[in-house]
Amino acid sequence: MVSQLYAHEQKQDGGLGMGHSNASGDLSSEMEVDAFRRLFPLRFYEHHLAESIRPDGRALGKARDTTIELGAVASADGSALAKIGLTTMLAAIKMEVMTPSKESPDEGCIAIDFHMPPICSPLVRPGRPAEAEPVVSKQLADTILSSGMIDLKDLSLVSGKAAWMVYLDIYCLDADGSLFDAALLSAIAAFSHLQIPVVSMNDDGKLIVVSEENGEKDIVNKEKRKLSLNRIPFSLTCVLHKNYILADPTAEEETIFETLVTVVLDTFDQLVYLYKPGGLVLAFTSSVQDCIALTRQRLKELQKILDESVSGMEVD
Amino acid sequence: MAAKAASTPTTYSPSPTTQKTKPSFFKNDNVDWVRPDGRGFHQCRPAFFRTGAVNAAAGSAYAEFGNTKVIVSVFGPRESKKAMMYSDIGRLNCNVTFTTFATPVRGQGSDDKDFSSMLHKALEGAIMLETFPKTTVDVFALVLESGGSDLPVVISCASVALADAGIMMYDLVTSVSVSCLGKNLVIDPVLEEESYQDGSLMLSCMPSKYEVTQLTITGEWSTAKINEGMQLCLDACSKLAKIMRSCLKEAASASED
Repeated sequence: MVSQLYAHEQKQDGGLGMGHSNASGDLSSEMEVDAFRRLFPLRFYEHHLAESIRPDGRALGKARDTTIELGAVASADGSALAKIGLTTMLAAIKMEVMTPSKESPDEGCIAIDFHMPPICSPLVRPGRPAEAEPVVSKQLADTILSSGMIDLKDLSLVSGKAAWMVYLDIYCLDADGSLFDAALLSAIAAFSHLQIPVVSMNDDGKLIVVSEENGEKDIVNKEKRKLSLNRIPFSLTCVLHKNYILADPTAEEETIFETLVTVVLDTFDQLVYLYKPGGLVLAFTSSVQDCIALTRQRLKELQKILDESVSGMEVD
Repeated sequence: MAAKAASTPTTYSPSPTTQKTKPSFFKNDNVDWVRPDGRGFHQCRPAFFRTGAVNAAAGSAYAEFGNTKVIVSVFGPRESKKAMMYSDIGRLNCNVTFTTFATPVRGQGSDDKDFSSMLHKALEGAIMLETFPKTTVDVFALVLESGGSDLPVVISCASVALADAGIMMYDLVTSVSVSCLGKNLVIDPVLEEESYQDGSLMLSCMPSKYEVTQLTITGEWSTAKINEGMQLCLDACSKLAKIMRSCLKEAASASED
């Protein structure tokens, strides 16, 4: 059935969407595929799933092409641009100084914010945050803080008096499904890129960044320039439909198949976060285990991509 | 939960605070000074445009002028909100937001509200609203990094995005601003120059039609100075329009291949 759907393509040598001067018949059969896709999305997908393939040609368990670019924002202390397929996330870290609380005088703080500006999707309106925004924001905060990736004691400057407040802002620039995965990846990449500025105490008791003018006196943290990341969490979102598990869904797939499962594992193969918010499909234990297995595979891929971009940066 | 404090603690940025007083060379009118990025007084920054930055949008563009980086997405024409009255011409809806890291100090993009309505006024004269009755075209801009002369860059980028979306317009709208520093006029100011300026003149025009869609002047300007400023801007706008056109042509020919 899939071959029937795409039979017209063999007549054309362009991809879908290229009008050719011959056969208006070709164009109408192409529009039929598009119309079928819009009117009966579930059947369109089921024809594909029966042949173990998805409309974009991916295998069911395969994620989209992922890239990471470090240092996208020059004015930030650490930043990264992560793309999974068409979904694009820009993460930037700015460090400010705060007074630590009395209960934990040796610890800094991390504030994580996820934003979906109106540019990223036709569903987002200015002045009204997207539905997904607070959900993903909370998910990110929970995952990053509970994974133990960053030791808050590393953020201390002067015990009891000054510590770093890390502001991590993640902006979605293009939304095409798997928002949490891309956001988490960009956050981790930004932390890998982060260079903590060297600060010294000035006469008013405030800390300022060391530069040529104020010299080298009273430097508080000469040694610590980068954060050590211990247990890095990586995630994979899958959608469930009958017996099928589709990894890394696009926005279209997320809308059609409403049941999704997000698994976060860390580099020591420990489960950090598991999220299955209801949905029509009840996940058997075997499905959950399959999702975890897919995540394990994805973790290796992501770790390789992250290591490559970090070593690329260090060469410069 | 040790990580996040119950009440957000007050924080301060350790970056050295920018000087409040003008550096001496700005004050002295007689001495010729070099701009922070080495440009001449009447030289604009190199402009870079790219269409198709956002796939989810009907049309989009990314613009980079020195350190000013902007993304604009255009959605539509799409259904107007049900509450709105019937209109036999289309509607234009604009919104400009800043990222928290756009400005050197976190979270200072306070000119948002102004920029949205100014963008609207600059563009509405150029768009053929009659071609999409009852519907709305949404133009959303996000300033990724504010490096000076933000609104002109947003306006120019929005024109490219509208063209990318296929919205019918009389002409591309290009925009350039000029800063008055003492006796001198400098075109396309950077953030530092804008903070010390005595006045500014921002002009948005349709170069091929030689019509001005928006002129904004702040500060004290003599008539002669206004004429000089406007002429500088008009010349720069026509050059900028050529760059925008070549970007659109490249994108169109690339998609044909």
